[in-house]
This record gives sequence, C-alpha cells and structure tokens, in this order.
Amino acid sequence: MRWRFPLLAVALAFGLAAVAHQAEAAGKKYKIFLSMSYIGNDWQAEAANMVKAMAASKDYRDRVSLEVQVAGPNAQRQIQQINAMVQEGAQAIVIFPISPTALNQVVRNACARHVAIFAYDAEITEPCAYNVHIDQPEAGRVTAEWLAKAIGGKGNIVVITGVPGTSVDTQRTAAAKAVFAKYPGIHIISEGVGMWSQAVARTELTKILTTHPWSDIDGLWMQVGCYTAASMEKEAGIPDNKLKPCAGEGSNGHRIQMLPVGAAGVQGTHDTYRPMGEPSISYASPPYSGALALKLAVEVLDGKTVPKFTKLPLPVVTSTTVKLCTQGTWQEMEQGCNVFQPAIISNPGWFASIYSPNTPEVGLQAALNGKPEQ
Amino acid sequence: MSTLVLPARRRTTRLPDFRRHRGLIVAIAVFVVLFLAVDVITPGAFSYFEIHFMSAGGATLALAAMGQTIVILTGGFDLSTGAVISLVNVVLASAMGTSPLSQVAFFVVALAVGALVGAFNGIFVAFVRMQSIVVTLSTMFIVQGVTLLVMEKPGGTIAPGFVAFFSGDAIPNLLPAPIVVLVAAALVWRLIRNSRLGVGLYAVGSDEEAAHAAGIRTGWVKFWAYVLAGLFYGAAGAFISAQTGSGDPLLGRPMLLEVFAAVVLGGTLLGGGRGGCIGSIVGAYTLMILVNILLVLNVSAYYSSVAEGVILLLAVLAASLNRHSPIAFYLRLARDKLAARAHGALASARPSAATAPVLSAPTATGQSSTPISWFARHREALRTILPAYVGFVIVLVVSQAVFGGTLDNPGYFDSLLVLSSFLAILALGQGAAILTGGLDLSVPWMIGFIGILTSGLIHGSDIIALWAIPLGLAFGAVLGAINGLGIVLLGLPPIVMTLAMNGILQGAALIYCNGTPAGFASSAQRWFMTGHFLGPTPVVWFLVLFVLAALLLLDRTVFGRRIYAVGNSPLVARLSAVGVGGTLIGVYALSGFCSALVGILLSGFSGQASLGMGDDYLLPSIAVVVVGGTLITGGRGHYLGMLGGVLLLTALSTLLAGTTLPDATRDIIFGLVVLSAVIALRERSA
Repeated sequence: MRWRFPLLAVALAFGLAAVAHQAEAAGKKYKIFLSMSYIGNDWQAEAANMVKAMAASKDYRDRVSLEVQVAGPNAQRQIQQINAMVQEGAQAIVIFPISPTALNQVVRNACARHVAIFAYDAEITEPCAYNVHIDQPEAGRVTAEWLAKAIGGKGNIVVITGVPGTSVDTQRTAAAKAVFAKYPGIHIISEGVGMWSQAVARTELTKILTTHPWSDIDGLWMQVGCYTAASMEKEAGIPDNKLKPCAGEGSNGHRIQMLPVGAAGVQGTHDTYRPMGEPSISYASPPYSGALALKLAVEVLDGKTVPKFTKLPLPVVTSTTVKLCTQGTWQEMEQGCNVFQPAIISNPGWFASIYSPNTPEVGLQAALNGKPEQ
Repeated sequence: MSTLVLPARRRTTRLPDFRRHRGLIVAIAVFVVLFLAVDVITPGAFSYFEIHFMSAGGATLALAAMGQTIVILTGGFDLSTGAVISLVNVVLASAMGTSPLSQVAFFVVALAVGALVGAFNGIFVAFVRMQSIVVTLSTMFIVQGVTLLVMEKPGGTIAPGFVAFFSGDAIPNLLPAPIVVLVAAALVWRLIRNSRLGVGLYAVGSDEEAAHAAGIRTGWVKFWAYVLAGLFYGAAGAFISAQTGSGDPLLGRPMLLEVFAAVVLGGTLLGGGRGGCIGSIVGAYTLMILVNILLVLNVSAYYSSVAEGVILLLAVLAASLNRHSPIAFYLRLARDKLAARAHGALASARPSAATAPVLSAPTATGQSSTPISWFARHREALRTILPAYVGFVIVLVVSQAVFGGTLDNPGYFDSLLVLSSFLAILALGQGAAILTGGLDLSVPWMIGFIGILTSGLIHGSDIIALWAIPLGLAFGAVLGAINGLGIVLLGLPPIVMTLAMNGILQGAALIYCNGTPAGFASSAQRWFMTGHFLGPTPVVWFLVLFVLAALLLLDRTVFGRRIYAVGNSPLVARLSAVGVGGTLIGVYALSGFCSALVGILLSGFSGQASLGMGDDYLLPSIAVVVVGGTLITGGRGHYLGMLGGVLLLTALSTLLAGTTLPDATRDIIFGLVVLSAVIALRERSA
C-alpha cells in the first residue's frame, strides 16, 4: 500500500518527461512565463486574461509561448517559482510582484542569466528589472485635489485605504493626505482599511456609519469602494442629486453611477447599478499593464531598447468626461468611451480602464475571456 | 487535535522502531520521489546553482516549521509564527549596519526578538494557563501592529555580508550555506530532543496529567517550548532577511498555513506527543518543490490550487495508509457486518427484551431538599461564557464615551447585528468542528465558491433565487460532508482535509466563473441584508431565529450531545455507542452549510459575489469561538459564549473603524483587548 503513491509519481514523472520533450520540438518561440501572485481577486483575474489574450493575438501567437503560474500570497513561493522558471529556460518572466523588495535577489540572479524581468502594476526595486505601472503618488494626489475642490475646500471626509503595509497603499494614501493637509477646513473623521475590495469597503463603511452618520460626512476618498458607497447612500434614502462626492476606483459600476441620471442608451441596469449622476472622480491602476509588459518583453528579446520604467498614463475619468461604450468595440474605446454597458458587464466591480493606444491587440473580449481582438 | 483514535492503532507491533518513525520515513520518501520527478523532467542535470537555490527556497519555511513543531509536540498551537518572522525581518532591515559586529549583533537580536515573543506566549500559556490559540492569536495581532510601526512599507537593506553568510556558499561550488544553517538547526533540535526538556515536550504532549504525575514540571516545559519556537522563528526571520536582502512588513503573514501544512506533511501529530522537527524540514521542502512540479507540469493557473490540495492529501494519505488505517478498519467492519448478516448473527437480529435499568423511585426527602441553585449548576458554563459578554459591554461603554450617541441609537445596534450575523453563523459550524477537536479551514472558499455559484445562477432574479439558494446550501452541506468523509474514512487530520478542500474550492470557483464572477444578488436578497422589516434589517430577525436554532441544536438534540461526547473522547464516545464517524460527518456538513449560508448572505450584502470574499472570515471565525470560551482541543464550549465572542470582536472592530488611528495601532489594541478580556475575567471568576 505504502509504495503505491511513490510508484504512481515515478510513472507520472516519466510520462511527463516525454511531454516535455515534445514541447521542446515546437519551434523557436520565445519562452515567456507569467508569475502571478494571488489569483483570488477580480483585478488579478482580469489582468491575467489580458496577458493571455496578448500572447494569443495574431502578432504574438507564433512568436511567444506563454506559461502562466500562480504563486499565491506568499513571497517565498514566488521566489521559488521565479527560480524554477529560470531553470526551465525562461527568456523573459512577467511578474505581478508580491513584494517590491523580497524578490530582488532572485531577480538579480535571473538577470545575470540574461532573463528579462518585467513587473506589472506593482514594482520591483531591483534596478535590472523593468517596471510597468502608474505613478502611485500621482493617483493619490490627483484624486485628493479633485475631492478637495468638490467639497469647496472644507468639510468632513472619510478615507478608505488599501492593504496596509504595501508600497502602493502607503504612497497613494500619503500623497492624498498631504493634499488634504493643505486645507485646514478638511477633516478626516475616520479611516477604514478597505483591502482594495468592494466587499471589505462595505463592511468598513457600515462600521464607520454606526458612529458617523451620512449627515456628518461631506466627501469620501476611497482607493476602492465608491460604487459601494453610492449604493449604501441609496439604501439610506439619499436622493441622486444629494450623493456625496466620491474620489475612487475605476470599477465599471462606479463609472455607470457617474453617468447623468437618465443617460440615453444604458442597457441592463438594475438596483444601484445605474446612472445616478454621482459627483465623482475615477482613477485606475489599469489591468492592461500585464499585457503591455508582455509586449515590451518581446521587444527586449527582439533586441530593442526599452526603458526600465514605463510609466502608464493615469486613467482619470470625472463626472464630466465619463462616456458610455455602447458596444465595447476597440474603435469606440479609441474615440474615448470609458464605461461599459451593464448588459455586457454584469459585475459592477469589474475594472473598466482596459484601453491603451499601445495595446490594440487586447480589448473587451480580452479582459472578459482572454480572447484577443480580431 | 486527534479526532478519532481507533483501538486498532494501539496494537503493539513487531517493528516498533520503524512504526515510530513511519511518519518521517514516508515524508522523506515522498520528498525524494518529488525531487527525482523534478530532476527527471527538468532538461539537463541539476547544477550546483540549482541545488543551492532550492536549498535556500525552503529554508525559511523549514526553520519556521521546526519552531511550530516544538509547540505542536506539547499539544499547543502557535498562530504568531508568520507575524514574528515579519517583525524580525523589518527590525533587521531597518536597523542593521554594515560592520561585521553589527551583523553578528543583529543575528542575536533576531533570535532575541523571537525568543521574547515566545516567552510572552509561554507565560500566558504555561503559567496563566490560557489556551495557546487565544494567546498566540492576540500575539499575532500585536506583533503585526508593532511590525507596521517599525516599518510602514517595504524597504531597508540587509548588509551584504549577512546575506552571503546565510544564503551564499559555505564552500563555493560544493556546499550552500542554507544547508549548513539547516544542519545546524537540526543538531540543535537533536540536542533538545535528547535532553530532559525534550523528553518533557513529548511527555506533556502525550498526556499532560501523566507527565505531571511523573514529576515533570509541565508549566516550565511548555514555557520553554514557546521560547524555543520563538528562537526558531527568529532564525527563520534572519534567514528570510538574508534571502531577500530587504524588509517587507507583510512578508511572513501568508506563511502561517504553509507552516502547518509542512508540520503535518512531516508526520507530526497535531495534538501533541508524536513527530519531530526533522520531518518538518522535509515537509517544508516538499511544499516548496511542489512549486517546481506545478511549473514543470504546466498546471493551468486555475487548477494549481486544486493540484496542490490533491497532492497534499495524497502525501498525507501515503503516510497513513496501512492495514490499521481507518479505511481498512471500516472495510473490515463492513465485511464483518455482512458476514454477520449472512449468519443472522447481527446484534439487532437477536431477539431480546429491551433492557431498561430499574431506577429507584425518587424519595420524598429527595424532593424537599433544596434544589441546587441555577448559578451553581451553570457555574462552569458561565465562567467560560461571561468574559466575552463583559468585554462586549465594556466596548459598548467605550464606544459611547468616544463617539456619543451609540447606546441610545437603535441604528448602531442594527448595524452591529447585521455585521455580526456572518460571524455568528460561521461560529456555529466552526464551533461544532472545534468542539469535536477539529478545525474547518475550508471556510474562506466555501463562502466564495457558494457565493459565486449562487449569484451566478441567480443573476438578479428572485424566482431563480427560490431554488438556487436551497441548492447552494445543499451544495455547501454536501461539500462539508465530503470534508467529514475524508476525516473519518481516510483518517486525515481535519486541518489537512479542510485546507486541501479550500484549495480545491478556490479552483472550482475560478473555473466556474472563468476568473470574473458575473452574477449578482436578487433584490430580495439585497433587501434581506440592507432593507428594513418592522424596524431592524430583516437579517437581524433571522439572526435571532438562527441563534435559537443553534442553541437547541447543540444543547437539546442527540446530535448536539454527540458532538460534545466525541470532543471529550472519541474512544469513550465509541464505546458509548455514539456513531463517531457519523457525528463528525454531520459536523463538517453543518460547517459547510453555515459557510454556504454566509456566502449567500454576503452576496446579498454586497450586491454581488467576488473572488476572495471569504478570505477575511477564517481567523475571525476561529477567534470568536475560542474567545467565547470554547476549548480548542474539543469537548467544552457553548454557543452563547461564541455569540458573545462575535459581539465583542464586531463591536471592537466597529469602534476602531470609527477612529483615525493608524492600522498598526488598531492591530495592537485588537490583540491586547482579546488577551486582556480573556485573562481579566478568568481571574475574577477563578
């Protein structure tokens, strides 16, 4: 009995060795790996879909063999995983880094073996790595400045942060607070930990509202959660034209709520997932960053020079610039639409900032299903 | 955490030495096979570089698992592992200089930090005699807070000499330093094991009272166990600092569950008395090599958590399958039963008069004697239940003092109860599992999977919700029952079975929704969680009914009594004709049902289901159960106490959320309140 398992494993191993050899004969594609961190949240899944779509697109499917692996939330495992990828003969590794610093040693090792390392969305501080992300302090500053203006430079605001202890959260929050500090009339009356999740934002806001009712609050600054906040205001019976200004995330639900009440042609609305003219600013850490990183990685392998830091333009949409995509085609997005039909995107927490002029290969179908644009 | 001690296991065997080390031997065999598998599949031979890197990859986990093993050997549980590693990491990264003296000094500091936290745990566990899980949970929060105070975001550097010493080469191109570190750690463990203390560790874990009777100072043994564990965590923190060359306040936190998995894979018995640190080293490397295996097999991302869960199950099964294992026992039982039926020799087939014990009629004097007072009868229960409620009242008073307008505000209590409803429901399932001496770690993705599944089906339709919700609940119960079946039939430790189930469900959720959950809750679901019915939110009325049902279930039904019986002693329960297996399966089905219910309610609360929506409920679901006075080793506890724990922790986090205190301070306050609530009231009632 005791030997059955080991025997099975050995048999399995030999079988796989044969498979591995077949793959080697597949031709001269660039061998690129994607090391994701935690797959269990909406942003990660969407970003991964876009990377996969990029690899499957017309220009890349014959040039790139992409293998996707998940490291989970543990940096130790990502270290091990990146090393295993180097051992497997990776030419480039696209990484969503769990930690900006913990991977430095393994990344340095990979660089020494001429593997191109690309980090998307978050950063890797090791100088040999390529980074593709937005300017985090800018995200905090721009949204905070908008909110300060929206409430006329004075009033009580509630702050919902991201995951404490991460660089991204610390930078955004610090930049926003620096802005608020310039207005003596603005008071942060409470601060919740939102973990970049609509579900957590709701529990945190529910707690905060027990001690600070809506009547005490003039504005909200949230890394993720404006959609939830507007929904909760509706539950509390606040009419559409009295919604609090909210500076927050680039979720589709939030942007739909920013559309003016009665906006034409919006299909599939329900409950609070509808246009309500919420005064808002929506910023995003765009989920196409991984796809762009893959593209840049191929450029590096082609021998082109790519800057070590690709700063993504911060997608910012305000109540005046929000525009509905009726079909969600690439052409429409190119013409500046920035929110999708609820009839197509039934999950309001889905991240709508998928457009970049640099990634025409990936559009709505890429983000939803991992299918490239035709 | 033994759930089921079968009499067959107690048989003496002819190979005592092999039997004793069986867990270790199988662990090593599994590792060697996996290692060879990777070697065979990977193109080219293993170079020194690869050996070096692999040895460094698992070293932190191995050191941490060694520390955890020592605590587990004494029958304890240490949840502070990951937090201590992070703390050591940020202390080193923020303060270490580049001079050789500073580097040596900071290695000592690393060990000292670990030992100090360990001593803190040890004092409360060994001398204040509190449950290890409550103490270390509080410590975990406090240490996490302190870590964020030391360093609020990743940064800092570790001196290159320190990096090279621990993660470089001991002898270039021959011996990697991590191997030297592990050999040194293993030697330390050998010394400990062969000392009086080592004997004490095993003795205390096997039977604390017997150890005490044999003259072992059990208190000190436990104290030193936590200190030693802390030293190992300190070493792990030092090693990970060298390995990463910098600091990150979140580095250690996700390691906790993997540490437990490594310990169990290494053949150490949860609950104490059997196993050892060497096995845990092997377990740690087995877990790390899984990463390579998944990569080489090119397991699709959505399936990787499934594959990991299955491999964990298989590895533990490989260590436990033999003719004495539960499955063999049940097969024999079934065969005997069939044979008995064929011969008409079943006990139930024997015609016999119902035996009714003859009781003497109550005498008149008996009735007139003063009845035992209600307090006297319930003193034990009150002592364990009350602390949570007194803590709850104190938090309410503080909330009133800080914010005003809370105690007289029905809205405050309404929100509090809505937020409490999730944990109150989870507490029944998790509580029942803990009462039988188990744990249900599949809570997070049971919530997530059922939430995503039901809202995907419902898609806003109240009509579909009518059948989708019962279906989701039934699904939860069935998946929970599968947990129970694995635990009973395959004899898997509940931690392993439910951890694997959690991974499998995560994969199932991802595959079902293809990465993006699409559905949303129906309007009735949303009304239930956010609307109003006769004043309060509808779910508050539901919560009242749920609590009454839970109390009836645990206190007044046969099933409830059996849960306690199994928790007190599976063997005695079996001899008392309690169907231990059936009870356990029922308990895990109940827990699955409760998680599924929470998944459905949470989707109503948020309007939609999201991936990872259950992640924040695992530790709290355990915390409320133990804060409410339940014994983690099973057999003692009351649902009212758990409910008190839910109210206390929810009110406390509500209080903290209303402030602008930094997150670090909140963690520390949270930990201190949990700890002091349980201690202060312990003494008052003692």
